[in-house]
Amino acid sequence: MTILTQKRGNNHFATLALSEKGDVTRRRFGKVGPCALDYSKTRTPDQYWNDPPADELVQRHRISSGHTTPPSCRKTPINYRRTLHAVSSEDNTRQNPVSTKDYVESLHQNSRAALLYGKNNVLVLPKDMKEPIPGYLSLHQTATSLIIKWTPNELMNGYVEESQDKSVLWDYALNVNFSDVVYVHCHQQGEENGGTVILVGQDGVQRPPIHFPRGGHLLQFLTCLENGLLPHGQLDPPLWSQRGKGKVFPKLRRRGGRPIKSRIEDTDEESVDYVFQIINKMSHREFLLEQGLIDPESWSNSAHHMASCVQRAQLLSSSTTSSSSSKSISLEKAATCSLKEDTVFNENLPSPKSQKSASGESLNTVCETMKKQILSRAFYGWLAYCRHLKTVRTHLSGLVNVKIMDGEGASEGLTKEVWESLRLDDGSICFEEEIFRRTYYGAIAHSIRKEVWPFLLGHYKFSSTTKEREELDRTTKQYYETTMTEWLAVEAIVRQKDKEIMAANIAKLSSESTSGEPVPLTPGLANDISNDVFEDDVSITSDGEPPIFDENEQLSPVVEEKSLDFSSDADHKGECTTKLENGNENHVINDDLPVKESDSGRMSQCDSPDEGVGEEEESDDDNVIACNKPTAEKINNESKQSTAVVITTNPSQDSGNQSEISLGSRSSCSRLKSFLEDEKDSADGLGDCLQEGQRSNCISPASSQGGVYSGEILEQFGVNVHRIDKDVQRCDRNYWYFNIDNLEKLRNVMCTYIWEHLDIGYMQGMCDLVAPLLVIFDDESMAYACFCRLMDRLSVNFPHSGEAMDMHFANMRSLIQILDPELFELMDKNRDYTHFFFCYRWFLLDFKRELLYDDVFIVWEIIWSAKYVSSAHFYLFFALALVETYRDIIIGNQMEFTEIIKFFNDMAERHNAKAVLNLARNLVVQLHSMIEDQLSTSSTTSSEKL
Amino acid sequence: MATKKKGLLKVIILGDTGVGKTSLMNQFVNRKFSGQYKATIGADFLTKEIMVDDRVVTMQIWDTAGQERFQSLGVAFYRGADCCVLVFDVTLPNTFKSLDSWRDEFLVQACPRDPENFPFVVLGNKIDLGNAAVPSKRAERWCQSKNNIPYFETSAKDATNVEQAFQAIAKNALAQESEQDLYNEFPDQIKLTGDSNRFNNNDAGCSC
Repeated sequence: MTILTQKRGNNHFATLALSEKGDVTRRRFGKVGPCALDYSKTRTPDQYWNDPPADELVQRHRISSGHTTPPSCRKTPINYRRTLHAVSSEDNTRQNPVSTKDYVESLHQNSRAALLYGKNNVLVLPKDMKEPIPGYLSLHQTATSLIIKWTPNELMNGYVEESQDKSVLWDYALNVNFSDVVYVHCHQQGEENGGTVILVGQDGVQRPPIHFPRGGHLLQFLTCLENGLLPHGQLDPPLWSQRGKGKVFPKLRRRGGRPIKSRIEDTDEESVDYVFQIINKMSHREFLLEQGLIDPESWSNSAHHMASCVQRAQLLSSSTTSSSSSKSISLEKAATCSLKEDTVFNENLPSPKSQKSASGESLNTVCETMKKQILSRAFYGWLAYCRHLKTVRTHLSGLVNVKIMDGEGASEGLTKEVWESLRLDDGSICFEEEIFRRTYYGAIAHSIRKEVWPFLLGHYKFSSTTKEREELDRTTKQYYETTMTEWLAVEAIVRQKDKEIMAANIAKLSSESTSGEPVPLTPGLANDISNDVFEDDVSITSDGEPPIFDENEQLSPVVEEKSLDFSSDADHKGECTTKLENGNENHVINDDLPVKESDSGRMSQCDSPDEGVGEEEESDDDNVIACNKPTAEKINNESKQSTAVVITTNPSQDSGNQSEISLGSRSSCSRLKSFLEDEKDSADGLGDCLQEGQRSNCISPASSQGGVYSGEILEQFGVNVHRIDKDVQRCDRNYWYFNIDNLEKLRNVMCTYIWEHLDIGYMQGMCDLVAPLLVIFDDESMAYACFCRLMDRLSVNFPHSGEAMDMHFANMRSLIQILDPELFELMDKNRDYTHFFFCYRWFLLDFKRELLYDDVFIVWEIIWSAKYVSSAHFYLFFALALVETYRDIIIGNQMEFTEIIKFFNDMAERHNAKAVLNLARNLVVQLHSMIEDQLSTSSTTSSEKL
Repeated sequence: MATKKKGLLKVIILGDTGVGKTSLMNQFVNRKFSGQYKATIGADFLTKEIMVDDRVVTMQIWDTAGQERFQSLGVAFYRGADCCVLVFDVTLPNTFKSLDSWRDEFLVQACPRDPENFPFVVLGNKIDLGNAAVPSKRAERWCQSKNNIPYFETSAKDATNVEQAFQAIAKNALAQESEQDLYNEFPDQIKLTGDSNRFNNNDAGCSC
């Protein structure tokens, strides 16, 4: 059934697609010549679109499906059903295989019948023939019966002599169901004869004798026959022992270990006749009992099992009555289909004889078989379901909390009033559960997010008092500022170094254009020079660099060194002052740093590349000249002269000094606790060091070689800073909050985090995670602290820091498998985790790119609180809800994974977040009830032997 | 197994972060330039139908994240590529320098049948900025040394050379694809004959 629907959906889409792209198709398949070319010119560029964009798909879906059923109601929870239907539908199309070819094909192994035995050139002596004729003997097993067929070779080859009537041959063909056979007579007469088998039916009618060629074929046949009978019957062993008068059949003995024992006596006689009775009446129940597959009690409860199976399926499909009834119907249907299958198979047999025996008794037998079939199907379904649940338990039980808090009265969320009512006099918060619960079910009022988020993220403890939190804020801030001064100093060195290398490279490149020697460029260098290349406005860097370059070119090769220093100097000045200004703005270094203050004056004019938005178009030279500060002017003047190289001489004292202090401060900053005590001193010291460091950096390029930070750290941090710059300026520049100043804050937070986590390093996407925090707090140190908390959970998602992403994909896979098998089957066509790659950005950024800012806030806080309310992995359920929201479109269009990626990329920031959230919360409950249900039943099942 | 549609050219764009991969792709497909693109996370693609030598082909252009730590994730997307576009920023010599590693990385991950002749196209982007630090000659020399890779200096912002570059990309990809088709169709034929063989055997009735 599933298959049919899918096919239909596919056709539907195909038609749509055809009508839409008719032109293209025609051109593609038709004769392509000049006309086609002309025609193509009339097409507007947007007609070139091949794949329909996501909204069009959504739109189509709305039109084509009158109503959208919630995905939870459309489950086909158990896969085996589908297989059954697939088979039955196939049968319907094959009802009349009348042609010889069809018949011959039916002799092979096929989906309905297993071929147990086949032998050509078996002789059969038909009733009115004098000579036995050769043919093909085969033994087929269907789900319910065992059929022996013999077909004359002429029919097999499709070659019939004209003298012979084909219908006569058809009459000769044998087609016997073993349920009609009572006795199998075996005759072995001498060496020259392989043996003869005569089948005797219930009505006593003997079938024509079947002569096997020599060489143990008879024994093989019997073995296969015995095997084939096994589920429903067997060759009666007593007959064996009665008839077996000696070890006439030494070969029989070789089949040792068979469940049926033949007592073969030692006699030397060769030719012996056997009669085997076929015990066909054994009920399924007896058989199962004998095989020890089930115990009697559980079998008698099979009806109950079936019912409970249905019941569970009902739970599975979100407890709607309609789905449960359809479930049970489909179970019966399945059983009926399999019966029909057998009937069809029998009816198809060309030999009319097999149907003669359809007496009242055999009708009874058929009814019995039906019963057994239904029960066994139910049993196997139940078995499959149990395994299914085991998967749930193994893979998914850890994903939801043991207990889910209910959402009664929490839908209005955490309002300001509620929040204030939960705060005690000393500022500590009581009923934190209530806060989580309300957040989870109704989100937080925007005005109090700033206050609540640090609690949700674990930065504040709920039990802390206002005073304690103020203290924490102060500590955090100071820690943040100290860290910042550290990396600012390092950054200055890095920049300095970059300039040197850059200048050298540029010089070499320009000289290379004449010499032709390729020049290796040093890694990690030039990125900072022009960061805002994306901008419409050309920023200073682009204006500022070329003159330097030109100057270099004018210089003779001998002057290279000088020009190098010169250029780095000129550029560097702007860089370090930028940093300083930021520090100042954030009160990082405060009044202790005269240099910084003085620099800040010209800062605004220095259009640093880092600011990225590049609105000002002043040239570098203008900037520098505009600076009033003596140092700047001095540098400027010096750099203007080509003799500026002089400055490079040895500020070794400065650099040594700086590096020592920097190092000290770096180690001290790792001790946050001790920080409070000597913060004043160390801050002063840092200030001094920074001052000196900056100065020496600004003045002397040589300082870049004298730092105590290892080259490795410098390089590492440098590479990261370049990356951060590239991404910060591209981060959410269309969102109102991120003007130049706030982008700078974002950059500071990012750099501070990376300085503290150089081992992790900056990776694309981290900026996206800081951004919403900064928007809410509008405070660098708080955003930094909360970002650290956030990264506690999310850092594992970034490449090379863990297998977390693979785990998310695996979990998604299992969840979809359990909750939406139909979708799963589509997605699982390529068994490759990359199929879930479309979720990659979702998990990496906690859906930040998928939603608009207002929705990001909501989804984030719900994810954080969900840990205490329902699931620590709520993001998985949100992801699942996103998939489920569009599952009809995905299935309807039979999307491949590339198409799914494109679809979701197109749909970014256009989801109905509220609806998806609701669905996600429902999905948590759904999985929870499945697992609970499974746990309760597993105690029952454990007592039963499975 | 993803079935490869006929006339579908898979093109991968690689290059350092911020060189303009997304911008180039969007300029070509949508003929628009926006200053608002964010850093690409993961991968995205756009498709466009174009005419190449009287043939209509669909280009599926994959845009990837520029940070090399994401490279390993792109592996699945590299496979089956018909052409690889290497982009650098003419104002940043470093981005040019990393072309080597991008090229090597691609060849290692995508395992094309004939790595020596796999079609690459190199784009030096952002020429509109006017302060090129990588001279054309230098880029061209590099391209020549790598089996004559076509080189274009482009501006995604002004659309300079973008159309021409992608035409060349499509052409080269098409040449590559037609070679591959020869290989690809072969197994199918074998499969067909395999089926009929089995059929004949059964007809002869010797299935024992």
